[in-house]
Amino acid sequence: MTATEFALRTDGVGKRYRKGWALRDCTLALPAGGVIALVGPNGAGKTTLLRLVVGLLAPSTGTVEVLGHDVTASTPQTLSRVGFLAQDHPLYKRFTVAEMLRFGRACNLRFDQGLAERRLAKLGIPLDRRAGTLSGGQQAQVALALALAKRPDLLVLDEPVASLDPLARHEFLQVLMGAVAEGGVTVLFSSHVVHELERVCDHLVVLNNGRVTLTGDIDTLLAEHRLLVGPRTATDLDRAGTVVEAVHSDRHTTLLVRDGAIPAAPGWQAQPVALEDLVLAYLRRPSEPSAAVTPEVAA
Amino acid sequence: MTWLIWRQHRTEVCVLGLLVGMFGIALLVLGTQAHELFPGGPARCAGEAGMNEACAASFRRLDEEYGYVENLLAAFYLVPVVIGAFLGAPLLARELEDGTWQLAWTQAVPRMRWLAAKLVALAGVTVALTGMFTAVLTWFRQPFDAWEGRFQYDAFDLEGLVPPAYALFAFGVATAAGAILRRSLPAFGVAFGAFLAARMSVGLLARPAYATPLTTMEPVGVGGSTDRPVPGFADWMIEHGYADATGRRLSWTEYYELEDAANRAGTNLNQFLHARGIQQFGVYHPADRFWTFQLIEAALFLAVAAVLIGVVVWRVRRRMI
Repeated sequence: MTATEFALRTDGVGKRYRKGWALRDCTLALPAGGVIALVGPNGAGKTTLLRLVVGLLAPSTGTVEVLGHDVTASTPQTLSRVGFLAQDHPLYKRFTVAEMLRFGRACNLRFDQGLAERRLAKLGIPLDRRAGTLSGGQQAQVALALALAKRPDLLVLDEPVASLDPLARHEFLQVLMGAVAEGGVTVLFSSHVVHELERVCDHLVVLNNGRVTLTGDIDTLLAEHRLLVGPRTATDLDRAGTVVEAVHSDRHTTLLVRDGAIPAAPGWQAQPVALEDLVLAYLRRPSEPSAAVTPEVAA
Repeated sequence: MTWLIWRQHRTEVCVLGLLVGMFGIALLVLGTQAHELFPGGPARCAGEAGMNEACAASFRRLDEEYGYVENLLAAFYLVPVVIGAFLGAPLLARELEDGTWQLAWTQAVPRMRWLAAKLVALAGVTVALTGMFTAVLTWFRQPFDAWEGRFQYDAFDLEGLVPPAYALFAFGVATAAGAILRRSLPAFGVAFGAFLAARMSVGLLARPAYATPLTTMEPVGVGGSTDRPVPGFADWMIEHGYADATGRRLSWTEYYELEDAANRAGTNLNQFLHARGIQQFGVYHPADRFWTFQLIEAALFLAVAAVLIGVVVWRVRRRMI
């Protein structure tokens, strides 16, 4: 089963629209099992990457392999292993909820109608209501119930909670995490909200300006990075490993470093870094490929 | 898939079915009355109209009592585009408008199978509805056709094979426009415009050239002549006019000069023309070319429809949507 140890592997994937590149040189290997967060600002290419993963788009360059299969060769078997919840959780607005479930049953190989009905009953969503008349949170829940009833091995969600109010957001994540706990589904979801991620995610991919700027297991990433605070300086930074970001105030310099030791100079202290600060530091970095390897000093 | 297609498109299918049914029944009722004027069948009567007084009277009554319906039939020029575009425009555009294409194509039905099922089902409904309506209309027009021929624009364009071909053309334009514009209503508008433009240019420019027309030439008679020097009333006259004794065609200016000369001389125009050996000519397609022309025109529109559907398939296959 070595081929399916990875939920998702991309190799040099790029996607070009008429206006230009939405995604470039994206090479990822994401493990099966657990929850993967895809983080980036609006317009970073998150939706493009997710659509490539579920086979809605074809890459302009490179290959996308999901659960060991090339996604562009979509067969009923490969399609039924991947569930997708698009942004704004689209449903056929004039279908009743029951008809949405019938749609799922008609178009899938191993659709678990009972599972979907139980989930919706637990949430108190009536089956005879038209999907368009449900609240945003309920529509999201119906879409999630549909995607989960496919019994996918990989569930991909595009900004699933962005349009929900805090209560619906909480309920949605609760249902999602419950489903993850129940069975061996790998979840890949995108978000531009960074907080809350630490609680629910195992793996992180940071996307900025169409390029992957950081990817890795969250615990490992947090262990590798640290904040170094010391007297203001612009020199001797080489000794501090790879500097991700340097912030200078009047008297102090704060460095975010990866794999760095504390400078020998006196007055330097090391601190652990919070996930949100880590992500923001990577998002603030200019995204030119050369800048990704050269330590950058920002003022 | 069958249930899904029916569920998604039942509104359009029902509305169109109702309209076709209503107009069809109206035509059947009126048509039965009109047909009853011709106990021996309109075609036989038309052949005898010259000598049989009863037949001539029947045709007069047909014109008086049902002529208004015949004039209203012109509105049915638009039936193929209404049916084809109404079914074709939302096929992809509505999924793209609502974002549900992302739902439809991430289930276990591969997108090409999804598209093939939709195209076959909706194109089938397009042909079935247009075909049924055309059958009723063709039957309704039988008495009129017996009198006027089937090559006029109010007959040829409404009868036989061409209306379903027009409808498939409109279906193709609407589907392709929907795939590119991603909106149903503009796609419908594009299909409407393309339909009118294509129908007008083909009807006026291409259709007369499907075959080489025949020409008749005969001297102007002393006793007078008809306006239309054609052997048969059902033939399709494309051009007619006068030629001199050598067969050179006269421009209308030259003809009016002759007319003025006749007036000045104070002689009867026909005698004047006859004396100078002026001939009348007609360029026409004989009535028996009707089905050949129907086949050619239907093939033309079907070919364009096939190209447009090909564009849709190509775009979906290449995941350009």
